[in-house]
Amino acid sequence: MSALGSLRYHLNVSLLGNAYLRLDRMKLDRQMRQPGFWKDEHLSPPLRVSPWLKELITRHYLKGRHANDRFKVAWVTSGGPVEFLTALGYYVLYPENHGAMCGIRRVSEDLCGHAEAAGYSRDICSYARTDIGSVLSGKTPAGRLPKPDLLLCCTNICQTVLYWYQVLAHHFRVPLILIDTPFVYSEARDHDVAYVKKQLEHGVEVAEKTAGRSLGHKELKETTLRSKDAVELWKRIIETGRHRPSPITAFDEFIHMAPIVEMRGEPFTVDYYAAMLDELEERVAHDVGAVRNEKKRLLWDNLPIWYRVRQFSTLFAKQGVSLVASTYTNAWGELAEHIDPERPIESAAKVYMYPILNRGTGDKLRTIRRMVKEYQADGVILHSDRSCKPYSVGQMDQRRRLTDELHVPALLLEADHNDPRCFSEEQALNRLGAFMEVLEG
Amino acid sequence: MTESAGAALRIPGRREVLRSHKEKGGFVAAVFPIHYPRALLRAFGILPMEVWGPAGVNTTPGDAHLQAYTCNIIRNGLSFLLSGGLDEVDLILVPHGCDSLQGLGSVLLDFIKPRQQVLTLYLPRGDANDAGRAIGFFADEFRSLYKSLSAITGRKPSEPELLSFIAQEEAADQQRSVLFQQRLRLPLTDREFYRVLRSREFLPAEEFVRLAQETLQQKVETSHSGVPIVLSGIVPEPMEVLDAIWRAGGIVVGDDLLCSGRRLYPPGKDEDPFPRMAENILLAPPDSTRGSSVQERIEHLQKLCEDTSARGVLFYNVKFCEPELFYLPQIRKSLSGRGIRSVEMETDLSEHLPDQMMTRIEAFLEIFQ
Repeated sequence: MSALGSLRYHLNVSLLGNAYLRLDRMKLDRQMRQPGFWKDEHLSPPLRVSPWLKELITRHYLKGRHANDRFKVAWVTSGGPVEFLTALGYYVLYPENHGAMCGIRRVSEDLCGHAEAAGYSRDICSYARTDIGSVLSGKTPAGRLPKPDLLLCCTNICQTVLYWYQVLAHHFRVPLILIDTPFVYSEARDHDVAYVKKQLEHGVEVAEKTAGRSLGHKELKETTLRSKDAVELWKRIIETGRHRPSPITAFDEFIHMAPIVEMRGEPFTVDYYAAMLDELEERVAHDVGAVRNEKKRLLWDNLPIWYRVRQFSTLFAKQGVSLVASTYTNAWGELAEHIDPERPIESAAKVYMYPILNRGTGDKLRTIRRMVKEYQADGVILHSDRSCKPYSVGQMDQRRRLTDELHVPALLLEADHNDPRCFSEEQALNRLGAFMEVLEG
Repeated sequence: MTESAGAALRIPGRREVLRSHKEKGGFVAAVFPIHYPRALLRAFGILPMEVWGPAGVNTTPGDAHLQAYTCNIIRNGLSFLLSGGLDEVDLILVPHGCDSLQGLGSVLLDFIKPRQQVLTLYLPRGDANDAGRAIGFFADEFRSLYKSLSAITGRKPSEPELLSFIAQEEAADQQRSVLFQQRLRLPLTDREFYRVLRSREFLPAEEFVRLAQETLQQKVETSHSGVPIVLSGIVPEPMEVLDAIWRAGGIVVGDDLLCSGRRLYPPGKDEDPFPRMAENILLAPPDSTRGSSVQERIEHLQKLCEDTSARGVLFYNVKFCEPELFYLPQIRKSLSGRGIRSVEMETDLSEHLPDQMMTRIEAFLEIFQ
């Protein structure tokens, strides 16, 4: 991080980049206000905050492109406790989010191919293959990803990330902070929480050493507070989906969730979600549905099929089906109340043990049941995701219980979140078509 | 090769051992892979019987609960349970070894709810540097398991009793290490050798020690002349893979299998039984499922090859086993850079070894002949 590097960063990001992105956002804002801008007869126009989202994401990756000139860089798993890294001034990159971006841009297949050519099996997670393929080939739709100085892996979403991050640690030869979160079969026990807390404290020490500075309590408290604020806002955003018609679909949430995952703890994230909530509440007040002619409401379980988000969004809307919620996007909002900025490490030890993926299959069924009720869903689509075993194992029994006991139609849809080669288009569309017919009764 | 003496060794079958233990008033636990405190179970009069599949089971019952992309050890194991294969056991222990085992434990507890009580156990992860933190947690896990086992059996073994069972298990583990050290002097085929080794999966420690000593007494002066290799992966199932190696002129001299070599638990040091059992497991050879670093695994495999004069490594993996699959490319590349050849094969625990795999084993071993 030389003076020249710092100067280069300020020129490319702070001056030119920010100015360009602001202008681009203004241009998009103007376009969206033009009469005739939106012609889709089934879907309402995108949210007015969408250009702001584009600016945030593009700036995040632009900053990443030059981050090695200016910041210490940490690569972090999506459910990782990021607050202490943000408070220490790290630039934080989430390979899973980057993977999702590659999926949406339909370059994940190519990147998976690079990983497979290096010996990585097609049977491992497609996010991991996308990321490893990107690392090995240097290819990314973001232009360039910064090299990590530190890795942080939290197993609260799966054990897969542990093996994946061991691969990255070996490749980059950088320290790996592991936050190993015991799986919560029923309730977290005292020794589970104590174990996670000890690891967090050790993680802070490693991060401080790598950053060359100490973590200030004030900075950590403020970052944690901003995280809490953003998570609470996100929770309220997704809860607007309870309204009939729903002002937002889970497809929208899949896109708008990027900041809550990778920019948690930043002030602009709080501002962004506050504006998004205002807009959604305005839609609720005027009964504006994200799907114009909402007839049926569905709940989605598991990760999105990133390379089919747009196609499915249009397909569902044409049938008057609104995907009003998902267990996946809900996961980033449901733990808000447990975050305590006064006790950031202690509360993080418990909060980060409780994401839906670290809880039992029965608990997930209870979450689905609750959401079906609260969101008045007419059915559930369970994405059986070949690349995500912790989310998918249990779905066969969950589907049976939903159908037999709750009399809610539920469809198990076989796919993969990031590898289109594991997605059978015709079969999926046929199954979805038949499911829609069942819904219509 | 020397003449095989394996036929002379009498190893009782699982059912026979199970019934004999129950007739003496003992309990039997079906234990899914991978790591668990054998001594703790034994102190409660519970004999652990490990469930690694088994191979060749009809997976239809399990397929109603688990997707086809779940590994066969789990699907076969669940199918075995659902088709009555574990009816005689008194409880089921599902240690947390990977995402699939986690799912199995959870599905059993939440949905299937078998007649037997299901217990879980969380395995702490991390490389050798994390062992200190992990030992305290793992000891607490064992204390928690102690309470559950006490509630099931009505027994409360004392600390000295626990330490005595630990000593017994440590002795059995020590015998397993000795068997490996003497492998080349034992007049056994690979399959016979592994039948002895893997009887540790269901024999009481004291009986295993007797069997191991009996096996070691058969030691001969002339050693095997096959191509020495290291076998890495999860479990040598179907066992025909060992016949295929043997027939092709190979001999397994080093073991990095999850079911055996990575469970060569060293004796613990702590005088408190709970941390001591945690030390046993967490200080064992590097293991993907414990989250060891890639470097640790490379160094371990390299040393294993050096110590045993192995000419190559056969990675024998179970399909869909993510922990193993992630490590393989970097390990193989590094071993190759150090002049150690390797080959990777994948099994789905079907009843028979595919001909194609036998051909690949032959081709691999021919390189060295």
